Amino acid sequence: MHEMALMESLVSVLREEAEKNDIKEIKKVKMTVGTLTHALPSALQFAFTVLRESTPFAPLATLEIETVSAQAKCLACAQTFDVSDEYLFTCPHCQAFTIKIIAGRELKIDYFEGE
Amino acid sequence: MQVHINQKLLGANELVAKENRKRMAEKGVYLLNLMSSPGAGKTTVLEKTLPLLKERIKVAVIEGDIATVRDAERIAALSVPVVQINTHGACHLDATMIQAVLDKFDLDNLDLLIVENVGNLVCPAEFDLGEAAKVVLLSTTEGNDKIPKYPLMFHEADGLLINKIDLLPFTDFSLEEVAKDLQKINAHLPTFPLSARTGEGMEAWIHWLLQKMQEGRERP
Repeated sequence: MHEMALMESLVSVLREEAEKNDIKEIKKVKMTVGTLTHALPSALQFAFTVLRESTPFAPLATLEIETVSAQAKCLACAQTFDVSDEYLFTCPHCQAFTIKIIAGRELKIDYFEGE
Repeated sequence: MQVHINQKLLGANELVAKENRKRMAEKGVYLLNLMSSPGAGKTTVLEKTLPLLKERIKVAVIEGDIATVRDAERIAALSVPVVQINTHGACHLDATMIQAVLDKFDLDNLDLLIVENVGNLVCPAEFDLGEAAKVVLLSTTEGNDKIPKYPLMFHEADGLLINKIDLLPFTDFSLEEVAKDLQKINAHLPTFPLSARTGEGMEAWIHWLLQKMQEGRERP
């Protein structure tokens, strides 16, 4: 739902970074998105195609999205586990409810390529 | 050329949220982020909450909406200072929007600033405003599947209000199911079933809020 806003922050970060690194045209962007953010890759891609029409993006700049699934660490038994819909935030090993999310909230730009 | 930046997309928001948090702590103002689906009754709950709070503390409100000033007018009618933020389409408030309106309040003479976020259970969870606490409002007419469907919002919450309990007999909403789902998502979440319409349960929620503010002052 907020993919356009997310992409707008991506563009403003990249604009600044491109200038810093003296890059005139960005051809590729790689980002990581955790599933818990509910940011849909297809909606991010769509927003990117709208926003890449402005400088400093190449007209056909591409966006690569790496999806990270949700993982948590149990504070009771210290084991890590995948957060699935079924378990939600319950430890599947010891059934404890005190858990810490360790992956799945990522929303970051890893790198960009350009000249 | 490949440039590795490894930068958080919402890093800029987090920086401003940190500034807001620091400023609120300096001024001794408790910032509360109130979130729910559209129509759960955030404004109505505030309409019932504010007169009860006003007797005890100095309170003000930031209203976040995509458009219109209707909610702000309802709060202003209670003689509570209120600022409306229209997001013009954005589905959430962010820290910069909050920062931009803070000067409109007399922060030196304020104890509590409640932010009524845009009605939405997904996006506001991602945007830290610099709040001291997040309170989520769920209403019985929405159904209790909202908790497993939007786990992040409920996982991050510091308090949960369940509104419209006067309508419980007419819905399939189950407080037992809510308790069961919360066990898996946020086991010790303080939960307050209430009805803004009848006033039932309001005192318990207000008592908790005042206590949280007290704790915040003692352990900033």
